[in-house]
Amino acid sequence: MTETTPGLEVRALHAGYPGRPVVHDVDLTVAGGQVAAVVGPNGCGKSTLLRALARLHRPDSGTVRVAGADVWRLSRRQAAHRVALLPQSPRAPEAVTVAGLVRYGRHPHQGLLRQWSREDERAVHEALEATGTGELAAERLDELSGGQRQRCWLAMVLAQHTPVVLLDEPTSALDLGHALDVLALVREVAATGRTVVMVQHDLTAAARHADLLVAMKDGRVLAQGDPRETVDETLVKELYQAEADILPAPFDGAPVVVPRARRTVP
Amino acid sequence: MSAPGDHPRASSQRPLALPPDSTVLRAGALSWLFPRRSALAAALLLPLLALATALAIVASSSGMGLAEAVGGLLGTGDPGTVMIVRDFRLPRLCVGLMVGAALGVAGCLTQTLAGNRLATPDLVGVNEGASAAVVASAAGSATGMVGQWWLGPIGAVLAAALVVLCAGGAGTAGYRLLVVGIGVSTLVGAVSDLIMSRENDNTAGGVFLWAVGSLNGRDWSAGTPFLIALLFLVPLSLAAGHRLQLLRFDDEVAASLGVELRRLRAAALCLAVALAGLAVGVGGPVAFVALAAPILAQGLSGPTRVPVVGSALAGAVLVVAADALGRVAAPVELPVGVVTSVLGGPFLLWVLLRSDRTTRKARTRP
Repeated sequence: MTETTPGLEVRALHAGYPGRPVVHDVDLTVAGGQVAAVVGPNGCGKSTLLRALARLHRPDSGTVRVAGADVWRLSRRQAAHRVALLPQSPRAPEAVTVAGLVRYGRHPHQGLLRQWSREDERAVHEALEATGTGELAAERLDELSGGQRQRCWLAMVLAQHTPVVLLDEPTSALDLGHALDVLALVREVAATGRTVVMVQHDLTAAARHADLLVAMKDGRVLAQGDPRETVDETLVKELYQAEADILPAPFDGAPVVVPRARRTVP
Repeated sequence: MSAPGDHPRASSQRPLALPPDSTVLRAGALSWLFPRRSALAAALLLPLLALATALAIVASSSGMGLAEAVGGLLGTGDPGTVMIVRDFRLPRLCVGLMVGAALGVAGCLTQTLAGNRLATPDLVGVNEGASAAVVASAAGSATGMVGQWWLGPIGAVLAAALVVLCAGGAGTAGYRLLVVGIGVSTLVGAVSDLIMSRENDNTAGGVFLWAVGSLNGRDWSAGTPFLIALLFLVPLSLAAGHRLQLLRFDDEVAASLGVELRRLRAAALCLAVALAGLAVGVGGPVAFVALAAPILAQGLSGPTRVPVVGSALAGAVLVVAADALGRVAAPVELPVGVVTSVLGGPFLLWVLLRSDRTTRKARTRP
């Protein structure tokens, strides 16, 4: 499952709502082991793209292939064996424990006659361990901090054992330290051979932690490629109508966006 | 996933038994989970059910003693007693068990679907639909006997279909369905009232007895088909219940975990309407059981489960106990629906006041 390359292939994808096209002609290839970050201003179609990839929003045309199979030709359950999604601020069942939450990640693999296989058990253990939430397993989710909660949700998504993992702004509600934890975790997930696509608001964080930056505006992909080559003053200007300086990070040379002023649009 | 396994704290720990709250049974590729708290709930409800059953066999408005009743059941008593126990009380008991279980499961499904503990099948017109069908059938008969129990489920299904149609599909298990349900129920209820107002006292009396919910005179002619239907509907409800757990997430999460939400909601609604329709057809609209049984079962088995089995057991206990109580509590036999109404009012108040208190507590929590 983890060796397949490319993990995710999107071809000529158009999606939208009746009378309101949102995503235009998106082509995207993300290999297994890669992290792609989708950036762009509010309303640029990032979320709709992610929903189309997650088999939640039926595209008007185009294909989404995961490990060679068109997700829109699979059943919902089959698709759930290939693509996992963590929405932006998901709601958990009342009073659920961490172990209880992560257990739900195995739902697509279970049935009335196979409620808890050894594989389920192993996957949950591994997911708890990989996210460092093992010792929280018996705690109630709603009593944890935001950073801990997000790691638990990631554990649930990992337990689903899918070649493609989609994350909608996984760090938007977290402070700097916890955001770094989660992004480091995202890198670890990709290191296991999975394909990760995340929507990110923070351009600097996206540039540092992603292998592939996908910049979207008005439903189109404006630029995509290695963040070090893609992120420059022109891109920031085009995406956000803002003036910014791009500095190389002293630590590793990754581009750092320093906003100066909102450009007055002529 | 090849786990990095470099987390020092987690790897030094002895692996936690997972899931911590359940016992696992495995046979080859098959495996089952038995949540311990749900098992405990069943262990608590089963003796109660046995007690209610015993009470129902013995409870008598005619002053039959315990020994006499047992003798009747075993066939060793005098022929009259044997007939009363075996031909009247036993079928009535079994029908009561089934009515309670069906209402409990139906209530469990609707409450989970709506994400609201006050959502019962009668909110989508089940009771009024069944009543209208039965009233219409009785209107034609001279005796006022309510014989065609199977008209109840048909009426229930028709009324629910009308509600779903007006609400624009079953996909929206939200307020729209409930509001339309109230409207359609009122309309259908008005039709029943209109028919009733034109009937003689005899018919009206018979229909009234049915309409408050009564098990009096129920026998195997209704019990056998009811049992056969339950043998199909209850396993399907169990399968649905397994997936309905996922409705406690957002739709996005549930869908990406492989749940076909529209199909699941439609299936659960159909099951609930069929179960409640059958129960109402056979026993009349016995009040509060569909509301109370799942709440009791949920309280016993914990908030993370969808307590299908627990609701069935709790419903059966409630109906059988209420029926037995109605036979001994008053000088004149009280229909089971009257007893559940009398007990159900305070219960509803308790639920409302308690949930009010818990939400207030949650809000003031730091």
